[in-house]
Amino acid sequence: MSSPKLPLGDRFYAGLLRLLPFDFRSEFGSEMEEVFREQRAETAGRRGPAALAKMWATTVGDIFRMAPREHLSVLAQDARYALRMMRRNLGYTVAAVLILGVGIGVNTSIFSAVYNVLLKPLPYMQGDDLVVVRQPALKTGVPNLGFSVREIEDLRQRNHSLSGLVEYHGMNFTLFGGSEPRRVRTGVVSANFFDFFGVKPVLGRSFVADDDRLGAPAVLVVSYEYWRKMLGGDPNIVGRVFQMNDRPHTVVGVLPPIPQYPNENDVYMPTSACPTRSSPGFIATRTSRMMSLFGRMNPNTPVEFCRRDLNDAARQIRQDNPAAYPANLGVDSSVALLRQDLTQQARPMLLVLLGAAAFVLLIACANVANLMLARMARREQELVIRTAVGAGSGRLLRQLLTESFLMALLAAAVGVAFAFGTTKLLADFSSQFTPRSREIGVDGWVLAFAALCATATTVVFGSMAALYARGDIAAGLKDGGRTGADRRRSLTRGALIAAQVAFSFILLTGAGLMVRSFLQLQSVDAGFSPQRVFAIRFNLNWSKYNDNAHFRQTFHRILDRVQQQPGVAMAAVASALPMDRDFQGGRPQRFRVEGDPRTEAESPTIRATRSVSPDYFQTLGIPVIAGRGFRDDDGRREPQVAVISRSLAAARWPHEDPIGHRLSFDGGDTWYQIVGVVGDVKENGLAKEAPLEIYQPLEQAPFVSALVARSVGDPAAIGGLLRRAILEADPDTAISRFETLEEERDAAVSSPRILARLFTGFAVLAFVIAVAGIASMLALWVRQRKREIGIRMALGASPRSIVGEVVRRGMVLAGIGLIAGAIGASQLTRWMKTLLFQVQPNDVATFAIVGVLLLTAALLACLAPARRASRIDPQDALRAE
Amino acid sequence: MGNQTPLTPAMFNVLLALASEDLHGYAILKDVDEQTNGEVQLSTGTLYGIIKRLVAEGLIVEARRRPAEHDDPRRRYYHLTDAGRDVAVAEARRMEKLVARARSRQLIRAYKPL
Repeated sequence: MSSPKLPLGDRFYAGLLRLLPFDFRSEFGSEMEEVFREQRAETAGRRGPAALAKMWATTVGDIFRMAPREHLSVLAQDARYALRMMRRNLGYTVAAVLILGVGIGVNTSIFSAVYNVLLKPLPYMQGDDLVVVRQPALKTGVPNLGFSVREIEDLRQRNHSLSGLVEYHGMNFTLFGGSEPRRVRTGVVSANFFDFFGVKPVLGRSFVADDDRLGAPAVLVVSYEYWRKMLGGDPNIVGRVFQMNDRPHTVVGVLPPIPQYPNENDVYMPTSACPTRSSPGFIATRTSRMMSLFGRMNPNTPVEFCRRDLNDAARQIRQDNPAAYPANLGVDSSVALLRQDLTQQARPMLLVLLGAAAFVLLIACANVANLMLARMARREQELVIRTAVGAGSGRLLRQLLTESFLMALLAAAVGVAFAFGTTKLLADFSSQFTPRSREIGVDGWVLAFAALCATATTVVFGSMAALYARGDIAAGLKDGGRTGADRRRSLTRGALIAAQVAFSFILLTGAGLMVRSFLQLQSVDAGFSPQRVFAIRFNLNWSKYNDNAHFRQTFHRILDRVQQQPGVAMAAVASALPMDRDFQGGRPQRFRVEGDPRTEAESPTIRATRSVSPDYFQTLGIPVIAGRGFRDDDGRREPQVAVISRSLAAARWPHEDPIGHRLSFDGGDTWYQIVGVVGDVKENGLAKEAPLEIYQPLEQAPFVSALVARSVGDPAAIGGLLRRAILEADPDTAISRFETLEEERDAAVSSPRILARLFTGFAVLAFVIAVAGIASMLALWVRQRKREIGIRMALGASPRSIVGEVVRRGMVLAGIGLIAGAIGASQLTRWMKTLLFQVQPNDVATFAIVGVLLLTAALLACLAPARRASRIDPQDALRAE
Repeated sequence: MGNQTPLTPAMFNVLLALASEDLHGYAILKDVDEQTNGEVQLSTGTLYGIIKRLVAEGLIVEARRRPAEHDDPRRRYYHLTDAGRDVAVAEARRMEKLVARARSRQLIRAYKPL
């Protein structure tokens, strides 16, 4: 099978040479083929087949060895050249690197959150098999009643889909034995809880089955953070004994720094050590529900199967024990994957932020593309010359790709630095939505993402530049046909400008909606006035308080001492602070009204209860709308009294006065007479409806854990005095929260505030880039048409008309961008719906304000180049060309 | 422009081949082969890699005048520049000194043609 032209061996060699770089081949290729032919002929003729085989082996081996080296040397040459060009255009290089760098940085940073929170597997052993089991009361709207000991035992026996089921509940206890009594958040868990999650302690051991036995010596496992911060990272902590609930508790281990679920806790104890959980009455009562449940699915079990299985088991349990599941509660069961459950709240927010970040990168790309096209116009001469001296188009493409690659590499470095600087911020922000926030950081995947962004921009820019270079060169060489390439280029650049305006519009609208939503939220009347009020949460040492008389004594002592402090205008104690994030609001309760045939099932559900001292309403500025507030003697004698919130009054007594009516929660054993109606308080957060609420006097239901005091002057000034007063009243008290009520109220809007700020930051960045893009494009346009403008001015065109034309050019593009942006925004903002409070995603006012803002900025951006154009001296312009 | 790449034995051989006359690629191959009694056999790839480097460093150039008797127009002849000659001489001297030192240490005896 011989070729008509060349023998097979020579053709093979020619093919082999294609491994070498283009330049090398075009320089030496044909010569090498010639030399090889002679060498081969002579070797074959004179030295025989063995020598020929050896020659072939050496030749092929050498080509393979030298090809990478030659490619590398070309690359190095290109890189040197590119660096020289970048240095020569330092302004352009710095601008492009910074713009792209910030674009990549914003994305890398948000991606680090998205990846670590939403995409990465859970840091627990086979985390994808873990499920959360809940028991909602559908008819009362309670998402999870929790489970009782009996229910947990039944579920363990009756399910067929789980390999393990562990319980958890959180409690606050007071820990003695450190420098002062400390309230500790305590997780009470099954003995195999940590093995179940695959968590190995860094010191000591976790719990063993024996720890769970009733009456076993009490033991504690300490969280990593608590060990570091509060116990000084003591390496000998294992074996140390603390006093808790009047019993010695021995520390047996320290947890690793992992995201704790379902709550961050200071310490953990087995169920046998919790006084409530281990009391015989609690264990025996099927309706004593308090615990959360986590299950591990059998390997390869679909979650659907597990859901069906557990729902069936729960239904059977309910059928077997009808008394524990009254129909009016509507008890049901639900199963969710832990991984989804952990990130449910953060997901919409992170995805919206990622979307916003992508727009920032798009704008950055459009802007840099424009910069690059402008520079290509100036490099036309250089490229024409290089083509003329024989650089092939492949070579030019390679050169331009190298340049954009270097640029993108620098930009990626800026981006990664940016991401490193911001992940801490982002982690703090996300910590309000997901316990996984502490996993946020820059790792290999995040770096890979930054590299991917950089590579994508390289390919796009490099080939775009090369495409234009090719058009330019063809035109440049002919010189007659320049206008075609020019028009095409200015069209592209116009489109890029319009795109930047459109993307900015979308981002600004998003930011505008967020800000409006935040302002709405902040202007919500919480129902009390937090000004000049200092708030303290504390926990008395419960084990000392076994009767109500003792409780009453203590809260009177606290109040007396606090009221004596200078600077305190008024003070009250209560079972919980207003809008307390830690206080769930108590169990939902239904009631019956004396003399009314309607049953509990027909009454509205009360979701918040407070026991308060008489001055509570006045101290917090909660208005008494009807009747009266509490008096000192309320609760000391019959009848028992209550004050209800306005919504409760409206829901139950829409057409009559509730004062004087009596209501009961226990089917008529105890009656409370309504003596007053007070304003609603947004106990569950500003964005939520105020719950129906009922207040009782502390004398009647003595349970205190909060103090509020209105100061004469700066509330922060009385904080220390209050703290001391409480500790003097009972030195065993643990103080857990300590801040002004205004700080507390601010904390309630902190996440919308941060979200609004982040979004605004992105939008401002995009806005500045886009406006600068308009200005720089017009400036270039004016510079390129200096001669043309000069001629027209020489022919009598007025500076006004020149200004008009330049401005028109810019504003037409801005207008097109604006319309495209408005259409895009109207489609995209609906994804933000769940994040907005009392603002519609298509809020006309926001769209209008953003439109006016963008148009004004675009107009200002047009004016400077327009003015420069109108000042062109015709003679100067004609001479310059 | 400074000489960055160290002179490899193969490069030195190519310089030596061009010391007495201008040669084309295949002639360089053959000359090196003959002068070293077949000990150094360059492949075409290696040869042109070297030629590219030597040209880039200005040690050899493409000869402007070609010997009259060979007139294959595809062949390019290479010429040793003054700089190339200096480098080759310096290299030879360096080797000479090395050999002298080896001899003074009794590593090798007297000069004996192979």
